[in-house]
Amino acid sequence: MHSNGHSAHEGQAALATAAAVQQNLQQRHEKSGNMFRLAVLFSAGLLVLGVIGFILRIADGVSDTAMWGYYAAAFAFVLSTAVAAPMVAIAPRIAKAHWRRPISRIAELFGIVGIFNLLLFIPLIWVLPPLDNGRRTLWFFDMVGEPVPNYSPHIWATLAILALAAVGVMLLWVSALPDFAALRDRTTGRKQKMYAWLARGWYGTTQQWHMQKHRLGILGAFYFMMFIFVHFLITVDFLMALVPGWIDALYPVTHAASALQAGAASVIIVMVILRQWGGYKEYIGLDQFWGLGKLLFALSLLWIWFWFSSFNIFWFGRKPNEISVLELFIKGPYLPLFYAVFVLSFAFPLFFMIWNPIRKSIWGPTVLAVGVLIGIFLDRIRMYVAGYSVADQSPLHAMDHVPVANKPDIADIFILFGAIGGSILIYLLASRLIPIVSIWEQKELLLYKLHKPFHRTHVRVMGKPD
Amino acid sequence: MQEHIDLDQKQVNETLLKDVVGTPRWWLPAVGFLGMVFLAGVGAFGYLLNKGVGVWGQNRPVFWAFDMTNFVFWIGISHAGIMISAILRLTQAEWRRPVTRAAEVLTVFSLTAALMAAPLTHTGRPWRSWLWIFPYDFERGVWPNVRSAFVWDPSAVMTYLTASTLFVIIALLPDLAVIRDRTTGMRQKIYGFLCLGWRGTPRQWKLQAVAGILLSALVLPVFVSVHSIVSWDFAVQIGVEGWHSTIFAPYFIIGAIHSGVSAVATVMVLMVWLFKWDKVLRPDHFDAIGRLLIIVATVWFFAFFLEWVFALYTLEKPELVLRELQVFKMPYMPLFLTFLVTAFFFPVPLWLFKNVRRSLFWMFVTTISVNIGMWLERFLIIVPGIIRRQPTEFNWGSYHPSIIEILILTATFAWVAMGMLVFAKVFPLVPLFDIKEGMVGRHVIKIGRKIVPASIRE
Amino acid sequence: MAESAQATQKRQWGMVIDLDKCIGCQACVVACQSENNIPVNEEAHFNQRRAIQWIHIQRYWEGEWPHVKARFIPVLCQHCDNAPCEPVCPVYATYHNTEGLNVQVYNRCVGTRFCANNCPYVVRFFNFWEPAYPNSLKNQLNPDVTVRSRGIMEKCTFCVQRISRVRRQAKNDGTPIADGDRALNPACVNACPTDTLVFGDLEDPNSRVSKLRDKELVEGGRGYHLYEHLGTSPNVIYLKKVDKHAVEEPAHA
Repeated sequence: MHSNGHSAHEGQAALATAAAVQQNLQQRHEKSGNMFRLAVLFSAGLLVLGVIGFILRIADGVSDTAMWGYYAAAFAFVLSTAVAAPMVAIAPRIAKAHWRRPISRIAELFGIVGIFNLLLFIPLIWVLPPLDNGRRTLWFFDMVGEPVPNYSPHIWATLAILALAAVGVMLLWVSALPDFAALRDRTTGRKQKMYAWLARGWYGTTQQWHMQKHRLGILGAFYFMMFIFVHFLITVDFLMALVPGWIDALYPVTHAASALQAGAASVIIVMVILRQWGGYKEYIGLDQFWGLGKLLFALSLLWIWFWFSSFNIFWFGRKPNEISVLELFIKGPYLPLFYAVFVLSFAFPLFFMIWNPIRKSIWGPTVLAVGVLIGIFLDRIRMYVAGYSVADQSPLHAMDHVPVANKPDIADIFILFGAIGGSILIYLLASRLIPIVSIWEQKELLLYKLHKPFHRTHVRVMGKPD
Repeated sequence: MQEHIDLDQKQVNETLLKDVVGTPRWWLPAVGFLGMVFLAGVGAFGYLLNKGVGVWGQNRPVFWAFDMTNFVFWIGISHAGIMISAILRLTQAEWRRPVTRAAEVLTVFSLTAALMAAPLTHTGRPWRSWLWIFPYDFERGVWPNVRSAFVWDPSAVMTYLTASTLFVIIALLPDLAVIRDRTTGMRQKIYGFLCLGWRGTPRQWKLQAVAGILLSALVLPVFVSVHSIVSWDFAVQIGVEGWHSTIFAPYFIIGAIHSGVSAVATVMVLMVWLFKWDKVLRPDHFDAIGRLLIIVATVWFFAFFLEWVFALYTLEKPELVLRELQVFKMPYMPLFLTFLVTAFFFPVPLWLFKNVRRSLFWMFVTTISVNIGMWLERFLIIVPGIIRRQPTEFNWGSYHPSIIEILILTATFAWVAMGMLVFAKVFPLVPLFDIKEGMVGRHVIKIGRKIVPASIRE
Repeated sequence: MAESAQATQKRQWGMVIDLDKCIGCQACVVACQSENNIPVNEEAHFNQRRAIQWIHIQRYWEGEWPHVKARFIPVLCQHCDNAPCEPVCPVYATYHNTEGLNVQVYNRCVGTRFCANNCPYVVRFFNFWEPAYPNSLKNQLNPDVTVRSRGIMEKCTFCVQRISRVRRQAKNDGTPIADGDRALNPACVNACPTDTLVFGDLEDPNSRVSKLRDKELVEGGRGYHLYEHLGTSPNVIYLKKVDKHAVEEPAHA
């Protein structure tokens, strides 16, 4: 589609040719400032704190499930933000929306945090009690006459998260192949060798391009399926099963929808950082914020609808087990958290995003995205800490009593910081290796964009390939 | 692939208005036949009014059967219009243009069919239903009980009906003006009155476009609420274990979209077959709706899967008994198998083939199959669920529909089909202005030897 | 003095059903039919599964032949405090009155049958047909009880007409309502030959029902509610059957 041998046009401002875009983006990729180094140091510091917190926590052992609530919440938060973010690249790409081009790599880069997410998950395997106390599980304990193997939830969830991380990395890699090749052709020495290896013999033949597009489609669809599957497994076996009497067929979907919301919010935040301080102003513009703003708005409504659908059934059903679940999560000790979640993740997005001028601005979506992220963070704490705090009650029926709120100790706070810091660190390091704005998608855009006179005005014509 | 046949504006008018201005030969016999089927249903309803609900097959505890199944089914079909018009308009999908009006009109008629099924024929004393549907019961000082899902229901459905009717009217205005300019005498006067003084000024066009987009956005929450509330007719209850599931609202919505979009595809095929609009409805359009259906069907199947997983997950006896009844016991076993095959396993693998998606015949067969399956789905949720073979329930019976119920069911189908045909005779079923707008905006971009379809964006 | 106490006294009508005493004679069913103007259930009604029996005796067989035992459980409206049938009625045809009764207002009912679906005990009945009585019974109809037309729901009322009559009487005479008064008791309770059914005011600490409740349910005896896990908090308390030679656990309870 492109050959890389053209002589570069001078001047960055008019990014009207492929070569100019190539050169401009590559320069930006190779440049790293003090702020970047500071950010790396800071997030590394947070990660160290997290490790300390984890050591403090593990010193007490894994037998008391209630103590690991905050750890589970930290894992769930990473699962809901970083691991959900690649969907922001996948969905508009399948819909062939052009506005996603400058931000699809931002989203895909989050895929690499999946590896960190997998590491975070591993201790939970030991925290989750085995099935022998008659706890419910997805794997139909006692259903077929004989008990299922005791550790089914542990094994299947691990495999699923492993697969999710692998697909995320593959997706990132396949999407970055043309960029690796471009960097290979423009670097020297060890760097060139590395990029050559990463580019897997990419020369930009028509066949390779077709193959890449095809693979991106398949991997995207597969990522989505794995994403849903992982949320399904985690919410059911690692949360719902721990709460006696909680049966909510919709919760996996609610969880996944709020995760997508947080994923979109994460991408918006990276976007604004890149735009304001990273020097990508020419690429990340109003279109991108508008597109993601609409997405965030839609996802916020979707989430609240799912949540309300569950809530309504419990509220009107008024069965004892349902009332006790509402008392734990909504009426009880975590009520303030619930209010905060409701306001930050639903009420604010609804009442502000409903106005197009706010959606179509830089700071509107940004501020709301920060709110959504905080909201989802609190939501994960609300659900997981509460859920893990009742794990020791007798399984299957309603809860005996609703315990008091489980407040975080210093180790919990360190763990929460560490999980966030670790994710950021990995993201930052990966962005050194892979251009954070996809070069090939940006160049491809030039082909599909056309300005043309139309009656007395000029219009933009956008191509939509089949 | 350049599939669109470029018609000029005049040709568009001629093609799409020929049956409004003239009358096809088959039209009168077809409407007459459907009218007779409908009248048979009206007769059955009269008999029902005279004798009581006893003439139906319902019993204790099967207090709801065909009535609610038809209600949910038609509400489901009604989700087509807004799905196609509002969502595709907001996402600027070009292929929606020839389909929007048919989908919206289908929405309006299927909503009226739903109202016939549930509040009208369903209650024990239909002449008193208005006391709760239109709460004007001042004499007795009793307002409707807002905690009841049956009070949420009419308000949502009525709002939806109002909004979708507005939708149809607003999109009709420019086309009515076109007809006004092409007819004479009394007809011209009527169309002139109906088009509300449309002259095609820039201001009118702007208002019309803004109204369309605003309605699309405003009607979406209504669209979601309608079927959520219909599902809550069942799900907020605790009396029937199989219904008390949190997944019901999304499950019903996506099921409604599945059946609704399928019904739109069926209507599209019929539009080509009956009115010979093959120059406007291209294989492209069927391809696009087929791809949409694959996604919708898969999401629906996932919701179905979740519903089942969590039904079994509880491991509670009544739930297990119900599931066993639904799947393994006669007469529900063949119905369940038919439902699975017709709603998912027959059409969806076929849609994966491009040739099927582009074939009128196969789209017709598969989408009809989906709606057979989706009707059965609602039936299988309602009837085996309600039978609840419980220890305190001394009637462990089943349910068989009576001829009266079947006549009312066929009457609703006849009503919708008749409504669509009459509408197509009186108004253009394909929006002329939308087609023309698409033609103006359509463009191509050449990339090397490849020609990529393009369109003008703001 | 007595009068004002009578007027403000809080009441909660309830029933205790001692399954140990039930012999399954169906006297209660017949008494109920005649007291409450329930149309005669002919064979066709049972075949259509549309028979109306406000109280009915559920019969279970327990054990294998020849050691078969019949178990009986009279089931009637449980008059739940947290009744699932009440919130779903769009026209308030069913609601909770101040004396703990779940009452049905026939005039308001439009026959959506929503309440019948939401009753886990399936004790609500629909008039599929216009009620028909044989000529010999036409002069026997109870004038205190409405004859329900077709298209509406009905169910056990704890013979609310008898309660009202006694309440009126007591108010006029200025005497308290006596516990176990045969004029107060529902027809089924009066008809029961074995004293299986006990009716009374659960708020009155001296009534038989509240004593039985305290002994058997609160302090932990044979008492239980039907479908306790649904949280409907019924006002009908069942006492388990005691069988030293029980073959196996009963089907439920």
